[in-house]
Amino acid sequence: MKEFNMVLAGVGGQGILLAAEILGTAAVKEGLNVRVSEIHGMAQRGGAVVSTVRIGESVFAPTVLDGQANVLLGFEPFETLRNLKFASEKTLVIMSEERIPPTELTAKMMSYPSLKEVEEKIHSFTRKLIIVDAPMLSKKAGSLLTQNVVLLGASAATEKLPIKNESLIDAITELIPAKYLDVNVKAFKFGYEFVKKTMAKS
Amino acid sequence: MPDLRVLLADSPGKRVLLLGNEAIARGILEVGVGVVTTYPGTPASEIGDSISEIAAEAGIYMEYSINEIVATEVAGGAANSGVRALTAMKHVGLNVASDFVMTLAYAGVRSGLVIVTADDPECYSSQNEQDNRFYALLANLPCLEPSDSQEAKDMTISAIEISEKLELPVILRTTTRVSHTRVPVVYGKFTKPVLKGEFLKDVKRLVMVPAHSRPKHPVLLKSMEKAKEISETSLYNKITREGKSGKISIISSSAAYNYAVEAADLLGLDVSLMKLGMTHPVPEKFIGKFLEKHEKIIVVEELEPYLELHVKAIAKDYAPNIEIYGKMGKQYFPRDGELSTRIVATGLAKVTGKKLPMNFEKINEKYAEVSRNLPSRPPILCAGCPHRASMYIMKKVGGEKAVYSTDIGCYALGAAPPLKTGDIMTCMGASIGTAQGISKATETPTFAIIGDSTFFHAGIPGLINAVYNNHKIIVTVLDNLTTAMTGHQPHPGTGWTGMHTPTEKIMIEKVAEGCGVKYVKVVNPFKIKEAETVLKEAMKHSGPSVIVFRAPCALMVVRQRRRKGAELLACKITDKCTNCMACVKLLGCPAIIFKEGKVSISETLCNACGLCASVCPYNAIECAKIG
Repeated sequence: MKEFNMVLAGVGGQGILLAAEILGTAAVKEGLNVRVSEIHGMAQRGGAVVSTVRIGESVFAPTVLDGQANVLLGFEPFETLRNLKFASEKTLVIMSEERIPPTELTAKMMSYPSLKEVEEKIHSFTRKLIIVDAPMLSKKAGSLLTQNVVLLGASAATEKLPIKNESLIDAITELIPAKYLDVNVKAFKFGYEFVKKTMAKS
Repeated sequence: MPDLRVLLADSPGKRVLLLGNEAIARGILEVGVGVVTTYPGTPASEIGDSISEIAAEAGIYMEYSINEIVATEVAGGAANSGVRALTAMKHVGLNVASDFVMTLAYAGVRSGLVIVTADDPECYSSQNEQDNRFYALLANLPCLEPSDSQEAKDMTISAIEISEKLELPVILRTTTRVSHTRVPVVYGKFTKPVLKGEFLKDVKRLVMVPAHSRPKHPVLLKSMEKAKEISETSLYNKITREGKSGKISIISSSAAYNYAVEAADLLGLDVSLMKLGMTHPVPEKFIGKFLEKHEKIIVVEELEPYLELHVKAIAKDYAPNIEIYGKMGKQYFPRDGELSTRIVATGLAKVTGKKLPMNFEKINEKYAEVSRNLPSRPPILCAGCPHRASMYIMKKVGGEKAVYSTDIGCYALGAAPPLKTGDIMTCMGASIGTAQGISKATETPTFAIIGDSTFFHAGIPGLINAVYNNHKIIVTVLDNLTTAMTGHQPHPGTGWTGMHTPTEKIMIEKVAEGCGVKYVKVVNPFKIKEAETVLKEAMKHSGPSVIVFRAPCALMVVRQRRRKGAELLACKITDKCTNCMACVKLLGCPAIIFKEGKVSISETLCNACGLCASVCPYNAIECAKIG
């Protein structure tokens, strides 16, 4: 592996930074070189949030070059589309079904487009797309707040990450407060199993 | 957020993933800084916040000061009493502190003093993108520029050492991408902080009256000559790559360097690379000799052509015929916004005539197709934010005719539709002074909108001016009991210090009364009718008035509820709803959405503040808790 580039995109409050930090921490546990870029402050307030994780010996820059994402992890369909410039036909897109309508859409009295429409747009960049029902899986795990960890489990199941599952679980244990750990480990497992099953079917 | 106690691990050689800001906090522990001061501001906030969490255990004194100049004064006072000190602020904070800094450079310090300024290219969380390396030039102070977390930690230590060698404060300049990128950092050894020192009286050195300042100026200039010697041999100024042909070279610093390395490799360029970490004073001879060996120099830096100016001046003496490319004259790189590997690669390709290995234009075209009708998602006030209620009331009373002079904080987001309660905004505290000028010139009802922390930071002199010169303005202090936008730091009105100890709670209404304001009222923004009555009264008042809208930040309320395990009952839209869209048009709350042709409330986003229920003309919204 020369370098691994991952883009995590969604809406402020979805736990994107924590997910990126878990990936980065897991990479450090394996002795890898890593850069995790974050956005803080005003931009976070319900706005579009992008975090990037880059792993590899020759990685210096904090951000991902256009078209060069190995994995685009979309926490929300619109935000997945907004970050397609990082994708190419080689990119695997993992997208949550969680739809958060921007206020602009509501003000125009418009409904959120169907997942099918979103899918078509993603397909113009890459055919590799996995859609994860993160709201359902997180609810099953015990909390809607664990959607970020569901998506990490889903990413791990694709075997595209240059990080072992154990390291990810170790990082989750380190970064998530003890009292929420069980639900999060469950969330990871549910995300993981969901994708394994989806991949077996296709 | 990791447990910040990870910063306290006494294990040299340990490798930990840290934000640039957390790495600076670790550097503080490794070099034994005793006093840390700050005023929170993105992208600098986590420096103070990290230290605040661990200060008691580490034996450090930490404070959230009222503003950046006081923060620097406190740190400067300690450093002149034998205690190592560091103060951290965002780039515009240094504007506030600059009056003190410019003259402190003359007086100097006895123990190490580091002034951290975190610049914000691309204005991710700021009102401008000024390049604070020019402060180092202006004040005659040394400046270090880290490119990642490891250097951020190491340079914090070096900055203290240089400061003590020269007896001058040292500027440590980061940018958003250095402060907010996580990079593995290898720990060094701790130095026990010294908290007690001695103030040695020395009037000629420390009392900057003209007779003392005049001779201090040449002393400062001499110190900068010494600083230049340090820069010439600094390990932070280095050649990181020797090109094979030796014809072309890149000179770079900070985050820009990281893009430059990858962009050069992307193009397969045969170049030498010079990385500068001590960028004031620049190492003149080191750069000069490097120029002599090359034919073309490409300067890659973010924001202003700071290094380029220096390189061009040095070239005049060392290599007058060398070609220098950057952003002066013909622009190969932009002078605004942040850089990226793409931008740098594009610039390098233009200079060298090399072809880019990927077709960015094609990506642009394809991306334009999918993103054309994508609704924007700018930052907005959270669901349940009390500011939304306060500004809704203001707009209801003041209407379109009133002028709303707003300030730095979450409430600046009220400038956007549908609230549109932000007509002018410049810098911390400016809402109150600006409102006075507008009111004088237009005789229109004028509101100044300012947050609690911002009021303490820079609002009070403006308020006194309004009383003294009898300006008829309505000052609305949006008091959400925290410094919300930067991450919920305490301030003088919260009753808590950065050391997590209780302290005197300074009440904004008492401050206003003490300043001589005759009409001062405190209201709950969720009690709309009451607040409206008070605001109408204030508008009739002949002089300045102060209305404190007090209700805790919605994020704090939610966190508290979660901690208690309390269930949150989202507001619900009943059959009475006529789809009139009043709630949407008046409030712009992110929890109110449009689903299957009808207005609906998102259960996951609603924080049950009940504001929508209060404004619904058909009483069609039910809320368990209506304020």
